[in-house]
Amino acid sequence: MNSRGGAKGNGEREGKETATGAPFPFSLFPFPRFLRNLTRHPVRNGLALAGIAVTTAMLLNMVLLAGGIERSFEQLLLGRGYQIRISPKGTLPFDTEATIPGIERIRAAIAQDPSVASVAPLAGASLYGRRGDSLITLFGYGIDPAHQALYLLEQGADLQPGDTTGLLLSEPAARLLNAALGDTVTLVSRLDPQVIVAGSTRRLVARGVVRWLYDYKGQPSVGTALPVLQDLAGFRDEDRGSAIIVRVQADEEVEPTAARLRAAFPRLEVNSVADLLVHFRERLVYFRQLSFILGSISLIVTVLLVATLMTITVNERRGEIATLRAIGMSRIRVIQGVMLEGGALTLIGGALGALLGSVTAHYLDQILTSFPGLPAAISFFVPHTASLVVAGLVLVAAGVVAGVYPAWLAARAPIAATLRTEAT
Amino acid sequence: MIAVTLLAAFALVTGDSLPGVALERRTAAALEARVGDTLDLALEPGSLIRRVVVRAIYEPATDPSTVTRRDLAARFHLPDLGALLGATDRVDRFGIALQPGAEALATAAELNQVAFGYRAAPSALIANESSQTFRVVSRFHAAIAVISVIASAIFLLCIMLLKVEERRRDAAVMRFTGVRRRTIFGAVLLEAVLVASLGSIFGVALAVAASVATNSYYQHFFDTRLIFSLVTFGIVRFSVLLSLGLGLAAGALAAWRLVRTNPMILWGRG
Repeated sequence: MNSRGGAKGNGEREGKETATGAPFPFSLFPFPRFLRNLTRHPVRNGLALAGIAVTTAMLLNMVLLAGGIERSFEQLLLGRGYQIRISPKGTLPFDTEATIPGIERIRAAIAQDPSVASVAPLAGASLYGRRGDSLITLFGYGIDPAHQALYLLEQGADLQPGDTTGLLLSEPAARLLNAALGDTVTLVSRLDPQVIVAGSTRRLVARGVVRWLYDYKGQPSVGTALPVLQDLAGFRDEDRGSAIIVRVQADEEVEPTAARLRAAFPRLEVNSVADLLVHFRERLVYFRQLSFILGSISLIVTVLLVATLMTITVNERRGEIATLRAIGMSRIRVIQGVMLEGGALTLIGGALGALLGSVTAHYLDQILTSFPGLPAAISFFVPHTASLVVAGLVLVAAGVVAGVYPAWLAARAPIAATLRTEAT
Repeated sequence: MIAVTLLAAFALVTGDSLPGVALERRTAAALEARVGDTLDLALEPGSLIRRVVVRAIYEPATDPSTVTRRDLAARFHLPDLGALLGATDRVDRFGIALQPGAEALATAAELNQVAFGYRAAPSALIANESSQTFRVVSRFHAAIAVISVIASAIFLLCIMLLKVEERRRDAAVMRFTGVRRRTIFGAVLLEAVLVASLGSIFGVALAVAASVATNSYYQHFFDTRLIFSLVTFGIVRFSVLLSLGLGLAAGALAAWRLVRTNPMILWGRG
């Protein structure tokens, strides 16, 4: 409010006519004069813009990294609409080889909850696939074809409920087994090293090629109906499974339903997606903190760069600024002009930095997504509109603030003494 | 060796004849257990309980691959854990020490041909596979470092250029009074090296302080003695040389621009 008022008042003063009756040239809007200064020293300002662009790129990368993987993980977990995961006590789903006994009984009990729309038991175990005389190590998923949340069908047909002879393969598994749709694939359970025979063998028909959502890049995985995998993994006797996923009818019912399930099944670990994100956040605390630190450093470097540049620029233009002051430009106008110049410099550098940052983010994402065991669908650098808008505003504000000190220097310079010094 | 998930609870009984267990320090802290305490262990809630006595509390070897998992660990004698699991005479893996001179790779290949159902691998191979995560982190750090160095180089060049610009009138006076261009160039370069040297010293001090703070924070955060940040002589040497090199290059460029400009222009009258 003050600056506006000041600006208006100054405008009125500046609008006064000279002795010849002509208004001062800066009477309407003096800021273009300051913005034109950006073109005076192309090398210097070019370097400053390059510096701001690189630090902005770093800031952008860190903003994307700060919450990117969490958002990516959340999208992955909610991709098929199941909001609750149930696993053996003290574990996260598929994080250990621990299993849940009596999984069908638990599934039936959960399905009785009025808020629950769908329940799907899952099992996971290491298996072998036979290819000629060789055995290929695979990861096997046991699913309920009527309620699945683990894959997206890419080729062929999905498993139908009750299909105990069908098999779904990931593309790497199909390649390693040299199996095409309709081929018969032999799966065997773990071998007993003493008798050198598999505990169980099943011959299944490849029905479809799917993308398993939680697989890491190149993971050879297969999926069968839950009872088939239970047979192969030796889970059948106690009806064991690895996890249960639950879809709740309304999102606002997720937490109350999770609480009810926790109370009903104290021997199981019940996690909503929000709970899983908390666990995930704990494991990835390093990246969040790193992004915060490097993002802050980027902002500091930007402020230092702009402040240094503006200070020296203002020192160089002391004579010009004193002249403007002498012919009626108010201090507040000088301050506004210098700060605007700093903001404009930051804005232009920031725009260049955004372009550079999108390239570096892609490169850094390629590095981090090569983590072994990380689901291929996870991304570390995920754009989030609100975060980007806030970061952009903070950056421009930092540039404007960086101009405060040089603007103050410019405004407080004594007019007569400066003009006298400049004249000599 | 066998690794499983267990549930533990206290039992208010004593028994010297009970099997012993060694608890990792964090496990003991979480259970508020001390040496001599008795624990009831079960594979899962409601399953058969085994009673054991805490014989020792140990500090685990620092392992970066498990530091974020915060698992609570306990060590058993192999037969005790086998009995608890109901899987006697079964193990997850063997560790084999070879005779001096024996080739690990060849021995592993030989063992793999003896029987099915297991995979023998040299420790170096396993270490190589398990360190993939840290290689990815190192690559990420290297990429971030490259961006930081580029930003620093531009910043340094900009500062040097601005500093030299400030000296335009001094340089003009020197040129008017007959000082040679080479002398002015050398003076600016010397100043650049001094600035870079002081900056390097300050930077190294800052890095050491940041390293101490990082280790202190993360060791407390993860409750571990793992070293997270290490400032080595090699890193310091590389950083200082890079900083001096960048300072020298920036100073040379700025000085070159200064000495090739007409003194009248430097004086502001050109």
